[in-house]
Amino acid sequence: MDGLAVHSAPVLTNDEVAPGVFHLVVHGSFSAKPAQFYMLRAWQLDPLLGRPMSVFERTEEQISFLYEVRGRGTELLSRLKSRDVLSLFGPLGNGWERSTGRIALIGGGCGIAPLLHTAKVFGEVDLYLGFRDRPFLVEMFAQAATQLVVTSETGDGARKGVVTDGFDPVDYEACYACGPHGMLKTLAQICNTAGVPLFVSLEERMACGIGACLGCAVKTIEGTRRVCLDGPVFRAAEMLWDV
Amino acid sequence: MSNQSVQIGPLELKNPVIAASGTFGFAEEYANLYNVSRLGAVCTKGLTLHPREGNPPPRLWETPCGLLNSIGLQNPGIDAFLQKELPRMKSQEIVTVANVWGERPTEYVEIVERLSESAVDAVELNLSCPNVRGEMLGQRAKTAGDVVRETRRVCSKPLWVKLPPDAGSEVAWAVEEACADAVCASNTFRATAIDIETSKPVFDRVFAGLSGPAIRPIALRIVYELVNILDIPIIGIGGITTWQDAVAFIMAGATAVQVGTANFIAPWSAVRIVEGLEEFMQHRRLNNWEEIRGCVH
Repeated sequence: MDGLAVHSAPVLTNDEVAPGVFHLVVHGSFSAKPAQFYMLRAWQLDPLLGRPMSVFERTEEQISFLYEVRGRGTELLSRLKSRDVLSLFGPLGNGWERSTGRIALIGGGCGIAPLLHTAKVFGEVDLYLGFRDRPFLVEMFAQAATQLVVTSETGDGARKGVVTDGFDPVDYEACYACGPHGMLKTLAQICNTAGVPLFVSLEERMACGIGACLGCAVKTIEGTRRVCLDGPVFRAAEMLWDV
Repeated sequence: MSNQSVQIGPLELKNPVIAASGTFGFAEEYANLYNVSRLGAVCTKGLTLHPREGNPPPRLWETPCGLLNSIGLQNPGIDAFLQKELPRMKSQEIVTVANVWGERPTEYVEIVERLSESAVDAVELNLSCPNVRGEMLGQRAKTAGDVVRETRRVCSKPLWVKLPPDAGSEVAWAVEEACADAVCASNTFRATAIDIETSKPVFDRVFAGLSGPAIRPIALRIVYELVNILDIPIIGIGGITTWQDAVAFIMAGATAVQVGTANFIAPWSAVRIVEGLEEFMQHRRLNNWEEIRGCVH
């Protein structure tokens, strides 16, 4: 866990980019491999815990996070204004490693969050983004992708459907995905059939973020694993999807 | 010159701050962040005779200033602890307290026998895990007394007993009479949460253990009451998050404190409490903790 520390940093912007979805930009130089995350706090003891957020984008001078308001913690994050101070603990987790050759990144809903940073670090990636309603931040992804495919469940502003519809991994050396359980499970089946490795980044409730509390356990063929420390990235082939 | 050390039965700790079981793993993750040997001691994740996979997710649920957990004693088992974790902890000069859980009294005895021959500094009997099947042995005086007596017979190490918060005085007396060296009060509070979207309990096992600042005033009351009825040292546990909290427990009569959920709020919490207590002692010109222990009684 080289360089793991708690930082306090000022918020630059915190814009609502779609209904209930916010893009939080923080000033400072932070390291992060693709799909690594930080524990964010902007409060004392209530909520008790930080909120794990994967890195959406980073430059030498700033880091940003994309999140959906789902409960008290994200609600409080959404109220942050420019110059408010945010506490960041990280970077945490294992992160994605790039395979050589042609690769695809697939994201569904807020599972698109780690894909922009990943696309920029990896370079030359095909991106598949699935949204429930009208797509957002697509122009940012367009700049980082060799090819970009966008779907929307309502058909609002994009091809109607879900991101896994017609997805064919056969042209890729490896695929990388983040999103809802059902989407990842479907992709795992598709990639398994095609014999293409799939690396998923998982989301789970967490307390400590460093592997001590065992709260974020997931079942794999090799036993119980911790999303925060052993993951969030796992080989899809090692996951037990139905437990 | 102030002396932070505390005496718990035959064991002297360099300070009264102990990492609580289940919140600190086997110290490995925290040792990457700071020098864990600065703590008075570390209680290991609950150890069982055989490895346990623990409960299915979800395992955590946040409540106002509190945390419900249903981990279910996921641990690598006593053999893996003795072979892999304990040598590393001792090489890092961590005062190591092995927390033990058994499905039945004979299992406690079997595990404690093995620990008795090991390098652990003390044994903490967990008679109060709310997240596994079966009876909580610490809820009835007879069973609690029997387990402590039987393990005491095979235990050459200091023996601590971690009670449930609703144990009551009969259980505490039984544990003391069975020659425990200390009582740890208390484990998490049995509690529950309901997901109103699904109309179901949040946890597979329905009940879970509540910890964190939400329980602290009740935990403090329990320590206050136990101090009045026991002669053996009491180790206070329950929502201790700052050095001020630790001082309050010592003033209520605790010999030492355990820091648990606070480690999740910030991984440096326990060592920050050690530093805060050092400054408090100097500021108050205390020579030792005896000068204020139980002062509110």
